[in-house]
Amino acid sequence: MTIVTGKTEARARLQPGWSGVLRKIWEHRADYAYVLPAIIVMLIVIAYPIYYTIELSFFNTPPGLQLRDKNFIGVDNYTAILTSEVFWMVTWNTLIWTLASTFFSFVLGFATALALHRDFTGRGVLRAILIIPWVISAVAASYIWKWIYHSDFGIIGAVLVGLGLADRPPNFIDSVSTVLPSLIVVNIWREFPFAMIMMMAGLQTVPDQLLRAAKVDGANAWQRFWHVTFPHLRNVSTVTILLLAVANFNSFIIPWIMTGGGPSNASHIWITHIYELAFGRQRWGVASAYSVLLFLILMTLGYFYVRALSGNERKDGSA
Amino acid sequence: MSTIAETAPRGQTHRRMRIDGWRWGGRIFLAFMLLYTALPMIWMLITSIKSGFAAMQFPPQWWPDQPTLASYQKLLDPQNSVGQDFLRFFWNSLFVSTATTVLSVIVAVPAAYAFSRFTFPGRNFLFFAVLLRNMFPAVIFLVPLFILMRAIGLVNTHGSLILTYLTFGLPLAIWLLKGFYDNIPVQLEQAARIDGATRFQAFMLIVMPLSAPGIIATAIYSFIGAWNEYIYAYTFLSKNEQLTLPVGIQRFFSENTTDFPGLMAASFMMSVPVVVLFLVLQRYFVRALTEGAVKH
Repeated sequence: MTIVTGKTEARARLQPGWSGVLRKIWEHRADYAYVLPAIIVMLIVIAYPIYYTIELSFFNTPPGLQLRDKNFIGVDNYTAILTSEVFWMVTWNTLIWTLASTFFSFVLGFATALALHRDFTGRGVLRAILIIPWVISAVAASYIWKWIYHSDFGIIGAVLVGLGLADRPPNFIDSVSTVLPSLIVVNIWREFPFAMIMMMAGLQTVPDQLLRAAKVDGANAWQRFWHVTFPHLRNVSTVTILLLAVANFNSFIIPWIMTGGGPSNASHIWITHIYELAFGRQRWGVASAYSVLLFLILMTLGYFYVRALSGNERKDGSA
Repeated sequence: MSTIAETAPRGQTHRRMRIDGWRWGGRIFLAFMLLYTALPMIWMLITSIKSGFAAMQFPPQWWPDQPTLASYQKLLDPQNSVGQDFLRFFWNSLFVSTATTVLSVIVAVPAAYAFSRFTFPGRNFLFFAVLLRNMFPAVIFLVPLFILMRAIGLVNTHGSLILTYLTFGLPLAIWLLKGFYDNIPVQLEQAARIDGATRFQAFMLIVMPLSAPGIIATAIYSFIGAWNEYIYAYTFLSKNEQLTLPVGIQRFFSENTTDFPGLMAASFMMSVPVVVLFLVLQRYFVRALTEGAVKH
């Protein structure tokens, strides 16, 4: 990695300007052959859809997919979205969903990684069990939890009634006030193992000598964690949090299967709302405009993601 | 917890106690996480061996009075219409996931190798484009892809899923593999080149065998991703005989809304292949996931 970057920099310094770039492209023409299959597939399936979504977002589209009959309406789709009440409700839900899921998944995953860092009997088995929710299908997970939350025969309701904490089983996912937190619990159940894996790997890179030196100098457990372990994990934490945030922002299956966005939009997040607009109500233009807005938000997040990653690389190069 | 650690006076005996405090805190926390993780899965298993009548009781039977494997028998019986559907969905999922996995490896290996080894203009740009793609949700691509698939005649075929999964799995596959190639010393290839091997021979004979763990990890990753994928399958397929498991199970459930034992048995069987695959090969899997982000 270091060698490669070094070479690029040297070349770039030798050959500034466009003619240099073109010459370099020609010199490396064989190298592109290795990437070409990947690029072609991605151009067809990624670049074209992005272009098409942007185009559709400026049109009023008929229901059904007879898209030849579409009319250009400028930014009307965008103004319609931004002035609708549902939009702000869905945005608020998405914000809570993304922040709460990301925060708790990361904290629980990190804490689990720390607790699992010391060797003990059964550690491997425990780790494997903890990762399983992340491996199984989100559809299966949604049904399992839907059954657990069931308003008549759900196990949580039965336990609460059995302990005398409730008179009758609560309606977890059929009530406007509890539906979103209930779904977030399911989402964290599936996501914290990812944070755990990442942080476990990160912990292995913390040099033992430093921790021992800190111990000799009289640092207690908390000080060792805060001053030695944590600074070492800053990069991997940033990447983990960003990946979690993006994944949560993009989630679809859990709300879609468990509630379909209801009751009365209380669990609709952006993605489920866009899906419903497009494939439920066939308002392709509005759905596309929503997608473009989503796109802009994600590009902003993506900028920080790339910056965090290249921050990593720069540090490696200088070390 | 932090306050205990900070206020405790320094000294040999006290330090022992302090460490025990942390250790016990960790144990209690792990026990809590184990319950959180495992109880839903245990409840799925217990429900799946109940009869439909036993599942619909309040208060619930914590352990079924008459455990029965009837739900599993029904799902796996090719004579029964439910079993026929389930086995067909299972086979469809297996076919789509395997095809996706094989193609991903074929396409991702050269790309990842190039990203790891060569410097060509746009290399960094391309690599970040690959990573960025990972950030965009399926929904953005659904409408145009649906139209595209219809235009090339792939709607209602498994080809549409394989092509889509391949594309959306590629960025991650390339990222995972690149981490492995970065760790294989360039000198090994250079030595082979000096001994007269072409670049391609050096790649096939030196790099490929050394990166086998990475390829295994990437393959598992693609397989699990394709096996669990829901939204494209839900949108592109409408014929019953072509559905994959996640969509098939949803359709099954929307027709039999009260058959919770059957649903739990189906969820369990849908999870078995990926969980087994993961448990057998978890070392590679975990290593690959973290290689790119942590060691880089």
